[in-house]
Formats: sequence, structure tokens, C-alpha cells
Amino acid sequence: MAAGAPKQRPGVIGAIWPHLILLPASLVMLLPIAWLVVSAFKSADDFFSSLFFPVDETGALALDRLTLDNFRRLFDDVGIASAIANSFFLSCTLAIFASLACAAAGYALARLRFRGAAPLMVVTLALLVVPPPLLLAPTYELFHRLGLLDNYLAILLPGLAPAFGVFLFRQATIQSVPRELLEAARIDGMGEIGIFANIALPLLRPMVGAFAMITFLMMWNNFIVPQVLLHSPEKMPLAVAVANMKGVYYQDYGMQMAATLLSVAPVLVLFLMLQRDFVSGLASGAVKG
Amino acid sequence: MKTSAHIHRRERRAAWALVAPFAIVTAVFIFYPLYRSIVLAFSQTFGPGATEPAGWLNFRMTLTDPLFWVALRNTALFTLGSLFIQLPLALILASFLNRPDLRGRTVYRLVMFMPQLVGLVFAAMIGGVFFAKRVGAVNQILHATIGLDLDFPWLDQHVTISLILIALWLYVGFNMVYFLAALQTVDRSLVEAARIDGANPAQRFIHVVIPSIRPVLTFVVLLSFIGSMQLFELPYVMLNGAGTENRGLTVVMYLYQQAFVAGDLGMASAVGWLLGLALIAAAALQMLVARKEAA
Amino acid sequence: MPSRDVDQNPRRPLADRLPPWVNAFSGGCWVIAIVGLISGVTVLAQQQRREDALQLWVFADIHRKLYTPIIEDWNAAVSDSNAEPVNQTMLGQEPLRRRMLAGFFGGLPTADLIEVERTMAGQLFAGPVEAVGLIDLTERMKAEGLLDEVPSASLTPWTTRDHVFGLPHDVHPVLLGVRMDLVEQAGLSLDGVETWDDFAEALRPLMADEDGDGEPDRYLLAFWPNESARDKIEMLLLQNGTGLFDADGQPVIASEPNARTLAMMVSWCVGPNRIAADVRDFEATGNQLKTQGYAVAFFMPDWMCNVWKNELPNMAGKLELMPLPTAQTGGRRTSVWGGTMLGIPKTTTDFDAAWDFAKHLYFSPELARELYRSGDIVTPIRRFWDDPVFETPDPYYRDQRKGLVYIDAIDEVPERHASPYAQTAIYRVADAATALLRYAQSEGVYEQEDLVDEAMRLLEYAEQQVRRPMETNLFLRDAEPAS
Repeated sequence: MAAGAPKQRPGVIGAIWPHLILLPASLVMLLPIAWLVVSAFKSADDFFSSLFFPVDETGALALDRLTLDNFRRLFDDVGIASAIANSFFLSCTLAIFASLACAAAGYALARLRFRGAAPLMVVTLALLVVPPPLLLAPTYELFHRLGLLDNYLAILLPGLAPAFGVFLFRQATIQSVPRELLEAARIDGMGEIGIFANIALPLLRPMVGAFAMITFLMMWNNFIVPQVLLHSPEKMPLAVAVANMKGVYYQDYGMQMAATLLSVAPVLVLFLMLQRDFVSGLASGAVKG
Repeated sequence: MKTSAHIHRRERRAAWALVAPFAIVTAVFIFYPLYRSIVLAFSQTFGPGATEPAGWLNFRMTLTDPLFWVALRNTALFTLGSLFIQLPLALILASFLNRPDLRGRTVYRLVMFMPQLVGLVFAAMIGGVFFAKRVGAVNQILHATIGLDLDFPWLDQHVTISLILIALWLYVGFNMVYFLAALQTVDRSLVEAARIDGANPAQRFIHVVIPSIRPVLTFVVLLSFIGSMQLFELPYVMLNGAGTENRGLTVVMYLYQQAFVAGDLGMASAVGWLLGLALIAAAALQMLVARKEAA
Repeated sequence: MPSRDVDQNPRRPLADRLPPWVNAFSGGCWVIAIVGLISGVTVLAQQQRREDALQLWVFADIHRKLYTPIIEDWNAAVSDSNAEPVNQTMLGQEPLRRRMLAGFFGGLPTADLIEVERTMAGQLFAGPVEAVGLIDLTERMKAEGLLDEVPSASLTPWTTRDHVFGLPHDVHPVLLGVRMDLVEQAGLSLDGVETWDDFAEALRPLMADEDGDGEPDRYLLAFWPNESARDKIEMLLLQNGTGLFDADGQPVIASEPNARTLAMMVSWCVGPNRIAADVRDFEATGNQLKTQGYAVAFFMPDWMCNVWKNELPNMAGKLELMPLPTAQTGGRRTSVWGGTMLGIPKTTTDFDAAWDFAKHLYFSPELARELYRSGDIVTPIRRFWDDPVFETPDPYYRDQRKGLVYIDAIDEVPERHASPYAQTAIYRVADAATALLRYAQSEGVYEQEDLVDEAMRLLEYAEQQVRRPMETNLFLRDAEPAS
């Protein structure tokens, strides 16, 4: 306010009051997730009769009524294991290949001099605003013609080099790969591909982690593309399997929640491993948007 | 000079090798479908097998279909809600998290990001349970605290608000992480200088912090805008379709229903192009404004 | 660059001995890569070859479970005969619909036998009769006398232009399930109840406000005109009105009886005489309300009896079934909701084998019995109706012999006519019902008579919406005399 305001107000209040906002906000974020976790262990009866933990007739907590039954049925009756394997396969493959392809293209667009650079950059920017749903129908038709419907290639190929990723990597390259370093390596006689792999790529490490994380997450939670392009139930990834469990004449909530819990666990682990990359990667990619 | 020319040739060749996967994938799986979608938009189809030329029929049918306008209205409302509620909130949360003396930043960041990990399908399912009349947690809490009608129809008449709230829960953490990353690059000495000049926290935020993260802000606004305009899975799973009086119908759901329920890829492509053109126009406008402001 | 000769310094950390690009990937990335590799191997190993058998697709898990023993017996028996074994696959309803349509219109392989749900059937019939992806079963069924074995209401949803494309799985008559425990507790009786007015009058004491919160403790009927009630709205129009399409597939949405029925539905939900509440089926929240006794009566097609048993085991011994009350005296005391058929696609590898199995599956007395015993569904085949299984008292439904009540209702079940636009029509009519509810609430119009005009106006708009795509359908135009 007025000039000569005291220096940074230290002390208890300054340290605590952000928590007054952040703690309730966190609670709101966590509440549905806590509900999910509890529901996954509730029987169908308890799911309907109690909002959170199961209670017995007297209204007292009945924690002994929690059960692993939902998970057992997921594996035995529904065969969720193959859906999990499918999701891992699709998400991991796409994360690795898309990160590599986008890093390569982004790096080339940012640092290599070639005649196609400018038009390719314009294309990349234009593609950022093309809505994927516009392509859904013709992509379906294309894979129908190629005979690749109900084939994993139909899902992996179009997602291999999203313009979004190329753009992020180009930004990250501009920020964190100095030209001088590349020139020095060239004078040392290093091959261009070697320069990319051994000099640029390590410098892009946070972006590689962040983008792998984003791609993995997008594929893991993607529902519409596999729903449209795959047909066989045994090929479906987890997101579709969970959504399809919402039956027509019968809904098994406990099982749906258990399946959701199973699908969250791996991405949580991955996020914990990659979260430092994730934050600094996003920072490097978003500069000069 | 000879070495330089040699290096240049090698550089060109390497460049093409490095962009090749992107270029090929884009040409085959983006440009070809884009071209096909133009052809399809001017045909009537019944599944991918049968096609008849139809002129402007699909566009005419779409633009004169009241449902399309309902879908557009719903989508626009949702987008406005997302942009004006979610992004400011994300920014506020990020600025709290960015305080240098804050303890537990990593934990907060993880907690805020958690919903994103849980994913859309679950968010939609839980939305249906939490926002239900009478027994839904939201109505029970609001009934007990502010006396809201237990039968408040979140999922009927007010489904757009429910969608905005669920999307807020789902995505606010993601945008927050983006903003947080940007805030960490803000030059502390600038903020400090403003403080010494007597700017209060709000002024410092508006006049120093915001301008220095403007590029990220523009980028996130653009992403959120495009993402919101493409809303589909959330209402589709939550309402098992378009919901009461099509209040949950979105443009992409309309497209999806045309393509994969009615089997009419032509109508779907026409809808897609209308949406695509609108998005491109809006994005171009936004970039223009951003550039003007920056200049 | 460090020397390539790593042996010079064996004690250097592993990371330094690797080429620099390895360092571009953090631990998480390597985990992704390794997991991707492992899952890739398992996924590729999983891609099993389809065995040489007739493929059967079903869309409901309950059907899969019912058919499993029958198919096992069939497959065990075929080794001694020249019939073909059968392989059953459960697909969700949406995936099955898409895969079937994609197959028919795009030349993708489908199955040899497909179970089709009522709401997907219409789309199959959009083109010329000859272009329907399923085999026309009319002549076969006629020749083998099967057409006369079942009520015509079980065939109409699978019939277009007098051609039958599927074997009927069920009839699905609708009754009213009533919380008889509550009725008896209050010392009330449903004797002599025929119309909805009788019903409301007889049970109104149950709507008292005993907890004193200013609104009734419960409502009489689980019904609310929103998207969760589309099927119920159509069902009520079929009971009291004209339904949505006539036998020629023309919309008959905006009819006087339909408008009166729509007005009646909305009058249940508004004003001082409100009797209905939004208690949904198949939803956690609706089931919670059912458990709490928030509604007294429920629309119950035969299959719904089974849904209650599965989802609400704690409600055993509370419900009893009675014929549906009607809009006016002398009306139809039942209706229809849901339905399944079994069809044989034109791309089948062996029509005769598929036909033999289809008959075996749908026309076997064992299945009819099992369908009722574990699915509560009454077979459409007349000669099985005197089977003792239908006379067994059902403990969940207060030992009522409910099979007999459903069978009694079958002859009155209304006919539904197939149309590619049936889905659109159901959606638009439900929109009209919701709009009428909002009109009633905002204008304060609560009586059926006063709502009929607005109902008619809304139904006319709905019909116009249904006719619009019909009129521009180039394929239906092609269906008329070939050029």
C-alpha cells in the first residue's frame, strides 16, 4: 500500500494463510477420490445403503463389511487383466514413440536450417486448432479402407506425431538447446543424428518426461478413439472396458469403482516418478506460446 | 566454405530425416482424412460403404436443425464457464503454491493433479452419483447448509453447471501446474522492485506477474478453449447420451451421434467442418488480440 | 568427449558409461518403455485365433450366463453329429450396434448369429428390404409354423414391410409393482383399482407428511419425464395412445390419444395432486430411494423383476405385481418395454447350421424355463406357457405366482412397429414431455385436460423433427421403384 510498507510480513499468519485456502481446496479434490476408494471395497448392498463407509442396522460403522469381492470378480468374471495389458501396451508404446517423433521434428524445426522449415512450422501451428473430432469419421473410413479397423495400428499410427507435441518440443529446444553447442559438435565432426540424440535430446530431458507423461495419460484415459476404431471386446483398453461396464439392464457400481481404482494406480505411480520433469517440461514448452 | 556447404547439406538431409515421421504421419493420417472429410461433407452416406453425392444438403440440414443450435449453445455456455471460472481459479491456486515459504508444495500439487489421473470416465460416473437428486452428496450437503431443495435438478435443468463443476474438478489441477511452471520463471527481482515502488500484492500480480506469464496464459487459454469446445465424453458417459431436453448435448456429441449412431459420416463431416472453421476463426482472433496487446 | 575406453575406469557410475542419449530419458520414461515392451509381448501372445465355430454375439451379460450351459451341451453333442459348435461373445450394447452396422454397411465380417436389442433394430431397416444385412426369416418361420407359435406383438419390432428378420426372445409385458407391505401396513387396499385416478385415490394416505418436513414422505409412482424415462414414456403412449409409428413405418406421434397421455403423465408430476417422483432404475441413487421407500409403485416389465432381485436383494418380500392402471375405464391393462431378437446376418458361413442352433436356443423348453427361473422373463412361445415353472410362487414378490400374472397380460401387449427413426422419435417425444412439465410448472397448469393443447403442440413439433431426416433420406428414396 503506502510507501515504506514494512518488509515482507513474516511470522505465523503469512505462513499459515495460504493453507487456509489450499487445505479446503485439497479436501474438495480428494473427497470424490476417497469415495471411489471406499466404494471399490463395498458390496452392492452397502453401496446403495450407505454414502461412505458401510454401516450396520444400528447405524454404527461396520468396517468388516468391506470386501475384496469386486476385485476378485473383475479378474475372474470380467477378465480385466487383458484390458489392463491392452491399456499399458497402447499407452506406453504411444508415449515412447510419440515423444521421440515429436522431439525429432521439434528439434529440427527449431535448430536445423532447411527449406521446408517455415512451411512445416505454419502447418504445425494450423494443426493445433484442427479439432480431432473432425477427423474421427474420415479416419474411421480410412481405416475401413485399409482394413485396419479393430487393429491397434489404427489407434497408434495417427497419434504418433501430434502437432501439439512438435510445437512443445520446438519451444523447449529454443529455450534449452543453445546453438553454440550444436556448432561446436559439428566442428568436432559429429553426425547430425548423433548431435540430436546425444546433445539435444539429453537437454530436452524434462520435456521428454513431461510429454511422455501427457501422451501416456491421454491414451490411458482415451475413450472415444478406441471405442470407435476397435470392435473386439478383448482388444479394448481399460477406459472403454470401464465405461462399457455401465450396463443396459444392470449396473455393478462396486465393480466399476474397483476397475477405476485399478486404472488410477499405474498413472499415479508414473506421475510420482515423472512429476519433476512434468513441471519443468511444461515450463520450457509453454514459453513464447 | 567447402566444409560449410558440406555441413549444410548434411544438416538439410538430417532435418528431413528427423521431421519425416511427423511429416508422413501428418500427411497420411491428418491431411488425407481432412481431404476426405470435405468430400464426405458433400455426400450422403449410410455407414462407410454406401455414398451418394448430396451437394450442400448436409450443411443445410445441420444449420437448420434446432438440435445443432442447442448443442452449440450448450457447448458455448460450458466453454465460457470453463474459461472464466476454471482458469482464474487455477491461476489463484498456482500463485498460492508459488509462495517461496510454502510447505508441502509437492503434496498439494499432487492432490490437485489427482483428478486428472482418475480420468474422464470415472469423473462422469461419479458426477452422476454426486449430483443426483435427493440422495446425491451435493444436494445433501447444500440442503443441510443453505437449505437448497433436496430435489434440485442438477442433472436435468442445470446440467451445464454440473458439467462445468465436474470439469473444474477434473482439469483445474492440470492448468494449475501449467501456471505454476510459468510463475516459477517470473523474475523475482521485478516483483521485488514493484514492491519497493509501493505496489500492493494485487497490483504486483496484475502489473508484473501477469504480463510476464502472458505467453503461457495465451497458450493455456487457447488450449482450454479448444478443449472445452470439444466437450463430449463427460456428458456422454454421465447422461448416457444427451440428457433431458438435450441439455447435455454438445457439438461433438451431435457429430458422434450422426456418425456412429445414425451411420451418416457425411453429416458428421459437415458438422466437423463447421466446428473446425469456428475454432480456427476463434483461435486466429485470439492470437491477433494477444499479439496486439503484446505489441 | 570422454574416452570410449570404459575399461580404463571401471568404477565410474553406470550412467557415465552409457551413451549420452540414454540420459535423455528419466527413470519414468524407461519404466514406460519396459512396461510397454512387456505388455506388448503379452498382448500379442493373447491374440488368439478364432476357433472354427458359429459365432454368436450377445449384448447382455445375463443372456451370456443363461446361454452358457445350453451352448456347452450343444457343443458337447455336436461331436457326434454334423451340426456346428457355437462360440459366444458378449459385446456391450454400443459396441455391438456399431460393429453390426459397420459390418452390414462396410462389408466387415460379423457373426453368424446376433442378438439385437429393440432400440438398435430400427437402424437396420433404413434401406430397401433387400439391403437389410440380416437374412429374411419370414418364409422359414412360416414353413415351420413358428409364426403362429408366438404372439404377433413379439414379432412386430423385428418386422419391416411384412418381412420378419429375427426370432423373438420375449414379449416383455409390463405390470405395476406395488409396495404391498406399505399398503397393508397403512390398512389400505387396491381392490377394484382400474384407472390411475382409482389408484391415486386408494393410496393417497401413503403420501402423508409424518416427519413434518412440509412435503410428503413418499410418492406413489416412480416416474419423471426426463431422459431416464424415455422408455417409460413410450411404454405409456403404447398403452394409452397410438404409439410412435404405424404399421407402414409412418410417424403417428402427434395424435389426440398421445397428447392426452402425455398430459396425464405430466399431471402426475405437478400441483397439489402430484403423485410421482424421480426415482430412477439402474442408478445407484434411484436404488437408494427405492430402499428408503420413497416411491410406492414401479413400472415393471418381466425382466425388471430380475433387476430388482439383483440390485436390491434387501427389498425381498415387499413388492407385488398388479395389472397396469389405465387412463380410463376399459383401457389396456398392460404395455411393453424392451425386447430382444436373434438374427442371422447375410454373411453367415452356414445359414442352415445357424438356423438350427437359433431354433434350438430360442425354442427349447429348457431355455424357456431357465429364462423365467433365472431371468424372470416369460417366453413368447405359447405352448410353454402352461409349464409348471410359471406357477411357482416367487418369494421375492411375496410368494406371488407372478408368472401367471404376466402370461395373463400377454394377449393385451400392444404392437410396436419398427422404424429407422424410432430412436429419434423416442428422444423427441421425451423432450416434449420434459417441455410440457416445464410449461405446467411455470404456468401453474396442473390438470390433464388443461395440458392437452400444449401437449399436442409439442408433439406436433416432435413429429416434424422426426419427419425432417426421413424426407431427405436419399436411400429411402432409392428404395422406391428402381430407376
